[in-house]
Amino acid sequence: MQPASEHVHWLFATGFLLLGLCLLGEAVVGTEVWRRRAWRAYLWPGLAFALGVLLWPVMTFYTNSAIHMLAHGAWAQVLMLAGAVELALVRGKLTSRWWRLGMTAGFVVSGGAFLVHEQNAWLFQRSAFLHHLLGWTLLVGAIFPLARCLRPRSQAVATGFALTFVIISVMLYCDRDVAPVFGHMSPLAGSPHR
Amino acid sequence: MKRVVLILATLALVLPAQAFAHATLERTTPGFRERLPSSPQKIVLRFDQYVQQLPDSVHLYSSSGSVGVERVVVNGTYVTAWLPHLPKGAYTVRWHAMSGDGHVVSGVFTFGVRARAPAPTEAFGASGPTTSEHVVRWLYFLALALLVGGLGFRLLVLRRPLPARAEKRFYALTGIGALMTLNVGIAAFILRAEDALQLPFGRLLYGDLSPIARSRFGTAFIVMTLGFALVTAFLFLAWLTDRAVLLWPAFLLGLVFAGGLSLSGHSAADAGSSWKSELADWAHLSAACLWIGGLVQLVVVVWPLMPQARRAAFLAFSRFATVCVGVLLLAGIYLSILRLPQLNDLWTTGYGRVLLVKIGLVSVALAWGGLHKLVAVPAVARGGETALPRLRGSLLGESMVGMAVLLAAAVLVDAKPPVQPAPPPPAASSVPR
Repeated sequence: MQPASEHVHWLFATGFLLLGLCLLGEAVVGTEVWRRRAWRAYLWPGLAFALGVLLWPVMTFYTNSAIHMLAHGAWAQVLMLAGAVELALVRGKLTSRWWRLGMTAGFVVSGGAFLVHEQNAWLFQRSAFLHHLLGWTLLVGAIFPLARCLRPRSQAVATGFALTFVIISVMLYCDRDVAPVFGHMSPLAGSPHR
Repeated sequence: MKRVVLILATLALVLPAQAFAHATLERTTPGFRERLPSSPQKIVLRFDQYVQQLPDSVHLYSSSGSVGVERVVVNGTYVTAWLPHLPKGAYTVRWHAMSGDGHVVSGVFTFGVRARAPAPTEAFGASGPTTSEHVVRWLYFLALALLVGGLGFRLLVLRRPLPARAEKRFYALTGIGALMTLNVGIAAFILRAEDALQLPFGRLLYGDLSPIARSRFGTAFIVMTLGFALVTAFLFLAWLTDRAVLLWPAFLLGLVFAGGLSLSGHSAADAGSSWKSELADWAHLSAACLWIGGLVQLVVVVWPLMPQARRAAFLAFSRFATVCVGVLLLAGIYLSILRLPQLNDLWTTGYGRVLLVKIGLVSVALAWGGLHKLVAVPAVARGGETALPRLRGSLLGESMVGMAVLLAAAVLVDAKPPVQPAPPPPAASSVPR
């Protein structure tokens, strides 16, 4: 039986994978084809918003550590806000393309939260390695939502944006102390503590 | 089939589980707030991963001060502290351990030996609510007024479709209220935990807050945070889809979840509390939020952006506010009598003196509202358009006084009511032999 401590990461990894695949689908076939069915336009922003809402139970039920509680609260809010902004852009409630910076802010805040809440060096422990990797991936990946504001029709930018979510989901599947789905990211990063 | 898979995958995300990198306390002996029939020989802490011993790993306190622990042994995931014989009473355990990831994890819990164990927020060393907590609670009340009061005003007073700019400002105000409710709630929880754990901020970040989360206050925090996250989602969807009907679930859920304060405060926990006191407290808070939140909407949305609707909105709000103030007064008087059965408690106890300040501020607010009701309403009803532009300043003043009342209420909620006198023993004739 898998320990319960891993389940949340896997479940949210599944959510981010779905989100990334939707974005990848849109990047591959193009926005015009993707939006031939109107509901598809709402799919990934709606999923992002829902994932943000679902992060609230994670924050409130797992209070064994104040810093994790605060980090989960920050992720819940930025994901809700970023998803809400994208939904409003699709719906036409917001029109300025600069609103897309909401997603950039979401990436930066999320990445910053990962790095701030991990106070050990990269190779101290597997979870430390994962936190650093996720944090820097999000910070570097923030280039893609930023570029979407400037070049909204660029397929390369759209693909990069989609793949960032896919990579984050793979990382969330990996590198827990026990039962990593895809193995460990680095053999140098510490030994298990359980 | 595809839809079913998608729905199931999404629903699966609802099931949360623990996810931590550093050591988590899984079990303690004695348990949190456990009442023991006799003195325990040892305290055992079980973590989910290996921990290392620190010089002050386990501290034990009785109600009068520190109790020496005989020795502390760390063995893998277990920390065991051997105790001397403990007399009857309540005890507080403060623990610290070095987690495998190098972080010092800390926590507090209480137990009782042939006595009731206090809540962790009342553990030995906790000093009770501070000025920061008063301010945070006040901000929470203001957030509730903006959110619930704003929604109530929109649904019960200003039922017509709004011009685009007014609609936008209404959503901006209530949205700020929703985000404030969530974030101020988190701040309140952390502040209460800081007081219970008695840790500097750096170590508090790795503190175990689960005993506080299991208290009445913590349960209310969890339920209210989840509830207001849902309210925020409904509010956003109402704005996104232009469906005002979605404001109804947001409003009703907001009203229901505001009751979390009543179910975790004096009206639920103190001597003499019952479902009636909880209901009265909820009605008192809800009526205040509807009144003050409505005033803010009137001043910030209707007056500057809907000049053609000022008259109707003012008259409708006047009727609505009368009901709110009536409920507020009735519930407030009932609660005052319940908590201060002796009249002289008003000036002889700290709680009573804060209540006097609050009553004074409420009197000012009522006089101000009464002036509107008795002078402004008849003038506006007669079609006195000249009075309308000048009313904004007066309404702003009334809402400011209302906010001051909320500040007094915040201090009052954090204050401790005087201890109720014990009920008299039954008459001799009724004592069974």
